[in-house]
Amino acid sequence: MKAVGLRILFYLAVVLLALIVLLPFLWMLISSLKTQIDIVAWPPKFIFSPTLQNYYKVFGEQDFIRYFINSTIVAVFAVGVSLLLGLPAAYSIARFSQRRLAMVILLARLMPGISFLMPWYIIFSRLGLMDSYVALVLSHVLITLPIVVWIMSSYFETIPLELEESAMVDGASRHYIFLKIILPLSGPGIITATTLSFIFSWNNFLFSQVLSMEKTRTLPIAVFNFLSYADIDWGGVMAASVAIMAPALVLTMIFQRYVVSGLTMGAVKG
Amino acid sequence: MTQNSYTDSNIRWIYPLPAILFVALLMVFPVLYTTYISLTNWTLTSGTAPSFIGLSNYGQVLLEPRFLQALWRTFVFTFSAVAVEAVLGVAAALLLNRVFVGRSVVKLLLLLPLVATPVAVGIVFNLFYDPTIGLANYVLESLGLPGSSWISHADTVLFSLVLVDVWQWTPMITLIVLAGLASLSDEPAEAARIDGANEWQIIRLITLPMVMPVIVTAVILRLIDALKTFDIIFAMTGGGPGYASETLNLIGYKYSFEYFRMGQAAVILMVLFLIVLACSVAITRLGKRIER
Amino acid sequence: MASLQIVDVRKAYGPTRVIHGVDIAIDDGEFVILVGPSGCGKSTLLRMIAGLESITGGEIRIGPRVVNDVPPKDRDIAMVFQNYALYPHMTVAENMAFSMKLRKAPKPEIEKRVSEAAEILGLTKLLDRYPRQLSGGQRQRVAMGRAIVRDPQVFLFDEPLSNLDAKLRVQMRTEIKQLHQRLKTTTVYVTHDQIEAMTMADKIVVMHDGVVEQIGAPLELYDRPANLFVAGFIGSPSMNFLKGHLQGGRFVSDSGIALPVANAPAASDGKPIIYGIRPEHFILDDTNGLSAEVSVVEPTGSETQVFAKFAGSDVVGVFRERVNAKPGQQIRVIPDPNLGHLFDEQTGKRI
Repeated sequence: MKAVGLRILFYLAVVLLALIVLLPFLWMLISSLKTQIDIVAWPPKFIFSPTLQNYYKVFGEQDFIRYFINSTIVAVFAVGVSLLLGLPAAYSIARFSQRRLAMVILLARLMPGISFLMPWYIIFSRLGLMDSYVALVLSHVLITLPIVVWIMSSYFETIPLELEESAMVDGASRHYIFLKIILPLSGPGIITATTLSFIFSWNNFLFSQVLSMEKTRTLPIAVFNFLSYADIDWGGVMAASVAIMAPALVLTMIFQRYVVSGLTMGAVKG
Repeated sequence: MTQNSYTDSNIRWIYPLPAILFVALLMVFPVLYTTYISLTNWTLTSGTAPSFIGLSNYGQVLLEPRFLQALWRTFVFTFSAVAVEAVLGVAAALLLNRVFVGRSVVKLLLLLPLVATPVAVGIVFNLFYDPTIGLANYVLESLGLPGSSWISHADTVLFSLVLVDVWQWTPMITLIVLAGLASLSDEPAEAARIDGANEWQIIRLITLPMVMPVIVTAVILRLIDALKTFDIIFAMTGGGPGYASETLNLIGYKYSFEYFRMGQAAVILMVLFLIVLACSVAITRLGKRIER
Repeated sequence: MASLQIVDVRKAYGPTRVIHGVDIAIDDGEFVILVGPSGCGKSTLLRMIAGLESITGGEIRIGPRVVNDVPPKDRDIAMVFQNYALYPHMTVAENMAFSMKLRKAPKPEIEKRVSEAAEILGLTKLLDRYPRQLSGGQRQRVAMGRAIVRDPQVFLFDEPLSNLDAKLRVQMRTEIKQLHQRLKTTTVYVTHDQIEAMTMADKIVVMHDGVVEQIGAPLELYDRPANLFVAGFIGSPSMNFLKGHLQGGRFVSDSGIALPVANAPAASDGKPIIYGIRPEHFILDDTNGLSAEVSVVEPTGSETQVFAKFAGSDVVGVFRERVNAKPGQQIRVIPDPNLGHLFDEQTGKRI
């Protein structure tokens, strides 16, 4: 009897936990399907006739599609550049135990972005690179590169050294070994690094807020700008929020295992 | 062939070189530049070149009440948020550290806040907190409690923001601790059970001490990130009402990109930078100690 | 101290049955070893005795008390785990004192017991160390110390030596045996290593696929294995088996070679039989021996192992003499007629 009672109590706790986690997402989704009148109703309405008009409005009237594309361009290029720079660096860190180098690159992850942002702002202005994809991608690489290096150096360490030594004995060069043996074995690590760095670039607000203007504006800024109108169009904002969160959430659901390992990596390794 | 052997024997710096150059260019140089700016009286809007004024920016900013309040508030926000996250996060991890139906679903749910766009999260919580139409006051009133003014009043704004941070980042600690628990061997807990420990004693005397290094690492990671919280505060309150929710990050942003008082902004950025650096040094020290 | 009764014990995980009705009676003070290949259910059975696994059917009694539903802490047992299960955040002394602290024993009592146990195991100088500062053998001793301090009714060991190197394993084997001779606590010990079983046990329980194949003293199992499984499992190198039948008091192999068998049952004539002979029971005999074609010769110094084709099968022989044959050469050997084993081919049972 006691065991059954505990079991019920446990499931109640789990359901409560799940509800708390889900509530903001659910409320966002529900509100995005309401008319403005339903949203401002008091007490809040739980039963209403859903409408897609907010989505039509957001994707139709605004330049939302362009911001979506901008976000995608910036994230894809930031991830690409960080893989290009980060994979060889991570390999070297893993193979030669370059702890100090790892720390320096990790510092970029730990340091507040805003302390680099002011000098960038000044320099990019001087170079005429404000509101350019180049400036935006470079700034985002500073977020994504440490993620790639961190995840991949841990991953490379798990590949047995014997494999490389055997290839070396067979006469392969380091470069060849890296390209033809190490990288093909690193699929899971690369998926983890790519997914996480894409999401972090996608979600970044601060860098784009300062470095982009009308032409390269990314989604988080666009969503934020909704708020600046005097009379907030809650339905529109919520539809926009759903749109911006959807890609990251979907990626996470697809690559759940990889995202978990990426986020918890290192801490557990101690 | 000679080409090959040259690359081979120098691979340890050739491979990381591009990444090092990149980090030097985009991180190290800007920090040095910020240090220099902090010693000048430069304002971007004046159109004049920066002139060297020594440490007088520091004297001015470090004594300014608005800065000191923001500094204090940063610590209050960070420590209260992370303290709550640590307690809830570890508790949730201990709760979920067993086999049950729906475990993988719950773990997926825990991931969602971590990857949700912070700005959008802030906006959703704005709707929650809205005093006239928000769900938060509706819940309070349904429970027979008085409504709160949440983020629209100076007394409650910081607490309301802490709540958002707790919602978004507690799962991080839970997931890290869960992974830590999974990496523990079952044997010590079984040995303790035979030695006469009850469930609570096993958790308190065996499991928690064994997973403590992981908890500490997770908490320090969270501390560093919480110190830098910007998106949700900027999106939800912009530092307001008045200056009531300004943290160092917010005030640094405003001095740089709203007032364009670059010299003074640089001082604020230096302070934030040094605090985070100190925390980061702590984390590596700790890592080394655990390794030993 | 107490006796231990295992009566028709069964274990199933859902529909998967892993232990099918095991009966073992262990006397007070006996050292019993459960041995068998991995997956035979021996560790599960041990964990059921410990209370770490529930019992699906049957009864386990410690002394007069049925413990099926008694939680581990109230069974008055101590267990040494395969990976030692030392508490990494406690010193050696704290590890050993842990169980008594939980029982709220008075401090001087705890200190006395811990120092006694440390004395016995030679751990006195290591009491303030942490487990990570100890070698494998020292950790093993701490794990035993933790068990000794309890002064339990029964000691349980779960493959305690499998993580040690070969030399240390032999040494710890002796130490555990000495410890048992000194404390005389009833002990159940699980291993997959039949040499450990042979050298340490008062009584061996051979398990296979969730059933007990044979229970007996080590030499009894060696001299009179009850069935083909035990015959093949106990002894190293393993017993050689030849297929054939009995005819007029002699064993005739399928390849037509006849071997002498002392007191063969006449009633079994013509029935399919498996004839077993241990490698050390081959005798080199140039006059009466039958020819065997040598394939590999392995001298170990004290003896020589010869792999050869004999009576149509691959067999191995172990000889105290030096054998100088080269691969491909013929030697002449004869199995000791008094030491052959006969098994029914269908049931695998000893005849």
